[in-house]
Amino acid sequence: MLAIDVKDLRKDFRVQKNREGLSGALKDLFKREYREVRAVKDISFQIPQGEICGYIGENGAGKSTTIKMLTGILVPTAGSLKVNGYVPYKDREKFVNGIGVVFGQRSQLWWDIGVIESFQLLRKVYRVSEQDFKKRLDNLVERLQLGDLLNRPVRKLSLGQRMRCELVASLLHNPSILFLDEPTIGLDIVVKTEIRDFLMQMNKEEGTTILLTTHDLQDIEALCSRVIMLDDGQIIYDGGLDELKTRWSKGREIQFQFAAQMKLARLQELTQGLAVDWSMENEVTAKLFVPHEVSVSEAMARVVSGADIRDIKIFETNTDEIVRGIYQSGSADIAKKEVASS
Amino acid sequence: MRYAVLFWEYIKNYAKTRLTYRADFWIEVASDLLFQFVNLIFILVVFQHTPSLGGWSELEVVFVYGFFMIPYGLFSTFFGIWNFSERYIVKGEMDRVLTRPAHSLFQVLFENIDPPSMVGSIVGAGIMAYCWTQMGLPFHLTDLLLMLVLVVGATLIYGGLYTALNAVSFYSDAPTGIVPLMYNIQNYGRYPVNIYNKLIRFVLTWLLPFAFVGVIPASYFLEKKSDDLSQLALLTPVMGLIVFGLGLAFWNHGVKKYRGAGS
Repeated sequence: MLAIDVKDLRKDFRVQKNREGLSGALKDLFKREYREVRAVKDISFQIPQGEICGYIGENGAGKSTTIKMLTGILVPTAGSLKVNGYVPYKDREKFVNGIGVVFGQRSQLWWDIGVIESFQLLRKVYRVSEQDFKKRLDNLVERLQLGDLLNRPVRKLSLGQRMRCELVASLLHNPSILFLDEPTIGLDIVVKTEIRDFLMQMNKEEGTTILLTTHDLQDIEALCSRVIMLDDGQIIYDGGLDELKTRWSKGREIQFQFAAQMKLARLQELTQGLAVDWSMENEVTAKLFVPHEVSVSEAMARVVSGADIRDIKIFETNTDEIVRGIYQSGSADIAKKEVASS
Repeated sequence: MRYAVLFWEYIKNYAKTRLTYRADFWIEVASDLLFQFVNLIFILVVFQHTPSLGGWSELEVVFVYGFFMIPYGLFSTFFGIWNFSERYIVKGEMDRVLTRPAHSLFQVLFENIDPPSMVGSIVGAGIMAYCWTQMGLPFHLTDLLLMLVLVVGATLIYGGLYTALNAVSFYSDAPTGIVPLMYNIQNYGRYPVNIYNKLIRFVLTWLLPFAFVGVIPASYFLEKKSDDLSQLALLTPVMGLIVFGLGLAFWNHGVKKYRGAGS
């Protein structure tokens, strides 16, 4: 069964235009001008149960808007969506019983009272029986090591502690889908890893479907079998992370350490005829960039045959760089064409 | 029933939060009472200059004021969402509310519950009892029951109006200045409405029925007047249900227009 089924989903916002200066402000007072902004442009995707899917894109690409539509907070302008068998905004109160939501930038716990009190209240809101609640809480507390935090008021927790409590709060009613909006924002590497491990384990043991947005691609690498990339309200990539890398990484880098001093001109001479790039790191070390079109073995063979080599390292372009490339170069347009043609 | 359970849970949490700030609690009670006291003084000053106001004696007007304080106190306790637009719409806390399986209005109301305001109701009841004995009005046990019905009706009218008012924030981009305006208009409902001109009277009775919160239900217990507002008194619970129903409908429609805040 599909956990999430989205078809031609669209969201328009009406934004007030502010005219410049005092006279503009006065004009605005009497006659306002509005502008339609399409935040999400007819996107479609499907997520089967038990999948962990990463949802990435630049700020303002429409990630949060999509998540808010999927969780029943916003009503879409057009298109159809079904989550967990419900249309979120129609049967909101029934629907939200089956989902958990964590907004990294916003707390769902009561600020002044002990964490456990917040949990108790949520238990009543979600109508979880005392027995189930206790079992569930004990389990979560153990796995996230919250033991001695439960009686502290939320305002006295560190961000990492708070975020772990937020996770527990969103999972008390045992939801089958978990939505995470930037769950690791601002956390240190230890807590990040802890949270990732926890999510991974939960997905494996309980089959919880997870959709998360993040700017930290390591989250994606650690967790997601699938990535959906959004740009300007449109999906520009939907598939595995490895495929994303191979499709958009431009090539790989090979670092050579030579036995003796080496000149750049000499190296360029060796690889003459190949569309590769050399750069010297120091007198004995050089880096060779090999685009995908050029065979790595051929490039290597040429260098190996012409120079005395101590050491070779091959670097894959990392995901951060690939994604930065896509965001930056406005290559979203190119990417779209690629998706269309593939 | 489910909401009664939830209500109780929220009250418990309120108590836990507030008991840590005890001084705060008493300051709020004191400032509430001071505010009501100043209004009462105003009535007394007016009657220094005239023996009656549109056929109403001083004791009767104070009686009406005492009655008004009861639904007003209850309203402030249960519907005191003065910062709704800023906190829930502009800062986007509505997001959180909407991801929980309970009606959004009730969640917001419960989160902002304010029991200290109830003290005003108790003081109002005291004022009313004092005037009652001073005027030597007859007292029946059924009066208490009727009082309860009228108070609930009046509270619902207030609640409905302010629910609708807060729901305006769902439609409008910026927080509006309607709430303070309304706050001023409501004050007129505490005084005998027949002292105003016809238009204002009509507005206060049927459009923004603040007259149903004070003078109309209170007049039921007083001597009959020539224009006899007390005939309308029994409509109070009906008006309450209608106004609250409309307010709730307007809210439910508004939630669908909610746009969220930032990212």
